Amino acid sequence: MMDVEITVGEWLLASMLGALVGLDAVSWPQAMWSRPIVAATIGGLIFGNPVAGFLVGLWLELVMSRDPPFGAARYPETGPAALTAGAALALAGSSSAPALMGSVLVGWTIGWVGMHSIAVTRRANARLVAKPAVFGGRTSEVARRHLACIRLDAARAGLIVGALLVPSVLVVRGIAAFPRLEFATNLGGWFSAVGLAALTGIGARALGTRRREWPALMAGAAAGALLAWGVR
Amino acid sequence: MIPGRGRFLAAWVRTFAVQGSWNYRTLIGGGMAYALAPLLERIHAGDPVALRKSLERAATEFNSHPYLSPIAVGALARLEYDRQDEETLRRFRGALQAPLGAMGDQVLWAGWRPFCVLVSGLLFLMGVGPVLTAAMFLLVYNAGHVAVRVWGFRLGWARGLEVGAALKAVPTKRVSRAFVFVNQVLMGAVAALLIARISGLEQGGWIGPSAAAAGLVGYFVPRGVAGLAIAALFVACLL
Repeated sequence: MMDVEITVGEWLLASMLGALVGLDAVSWPQAMWSRPIVAATIGGLIFGNPVAGFLVGLWLELVMSRDPPFGAARYPETGPAALTAGAALALAGSSSAPALMGSVLVGWTIGWVGMHSIAVTRRANARLVAKPAVFGGRTSEVARRHLACIRLDAARAGLIVGALLVPSVLVVRGIAAFPRLEFATNLGGWFSAVGLAALTGIGARALGTRRREWPALMAGAAAGALLAWGVR
Repeated sequence: MIPGRGRFLAAWVRTFAVQGSWNYRTLIGGGMAYALAPLLERIHAGDPVALRKSLERAATEFNSHPYLSPIAVGALARLEYDRQDEETLRRFRGALQAPLGAMGDQVLWAGWRPFCVLVSGLLFLMGVGPVLTAAMFLLVYNAGHVAVRVWGFRLGWARGLEVGAALKAVPTKRVSRAFVFVNQVLMGAVAALLIARISGLEQGGWIGPSAAAAGLVGYFVPRGVAGLAIAALFVACLL
């Protein structure tokens, strides 16, 4: 049986910050503290490991880049998902590659949960504001109903982090503690690298849209490889 | 009556919450009414019937990129101030949506945002601390974000019905193409540096070529390999 060392104060803080990063993406103010690199760093920072948080956030940026938020497209919610994933890796007490991959997948999964929860709140918003006659010509009624929608979104995001934080830590710890075969060590790295590279290719295409731009992606990859080699 | 400075400021600040009541029927219509309310109250002061009608118009279906919504708020307030007729207002609202959405998606969502994220990622991978990097990202990104909102609101109020012509003068395509090129380079560099950080990489020289091949496949067959790529990350957890 695994325990998760987290105080009620830390849990409440994480939930409240979850509400704040959840609000940012759509409702208010789109300042992008809901981006994975920020939200996951906040999650890691709460539990004493911002480096782990940022690293998960950067992975999530690339993994989620395949679903850009254009037009009426459906895309995973980044803020609460990344905050939970960053906190989960920091709390898991392991910085191994499997724990990192586990956190990335936890974040990716919660992102889709978040997307479905947003759809539910949007239907509720329609009941509050979609008939202009309900305002009765009063600006105070417009503000009251609009702010009620924003409060609903905050509650939704806070609930996601509050409900999924501890289970996420348990999942990441379980993955980190999973018995590994000696000969498969490199295979884990290979699967991570190939998965990330493929998702980066997909994300680059989603942003680029024109096939002739791929040499720029390859040039960047070559420069990055040279940099990594130089640093080593 | 012309709104005072305080009313303009209140409306501009409210545009930050323009998507707060996003719904599938009127999209950001409720948010537009919320943002326009301080201006409409003043423009239609002493005429509750006109205020009621203008609020109801404002709350009907509308969509825009959130950062460019101040253009719409400024311009629609100007049209109300100029006492344009109902049909002109309706047509204007309809015509404004597509360019505001497309411009925002191309330049801001697909350009400025990934650019700032990727530069921040690169800084982190080159050794800058995570908190400092995240703070720098927020500062630089929002300098651009707030500047766009200020520019848009002023442009909307100043040009009113002529705002479309002013938007045509913005070199959207050129800016977005430059961003696309730079972001592709940055994305490749960040991915390569992240892959190099995966433990065990130094023992397997074949990982690099495999990753390059996977990146190419992902680029040219994007939807087909998405599921497989995610599955690879799941498998990586267990090995």
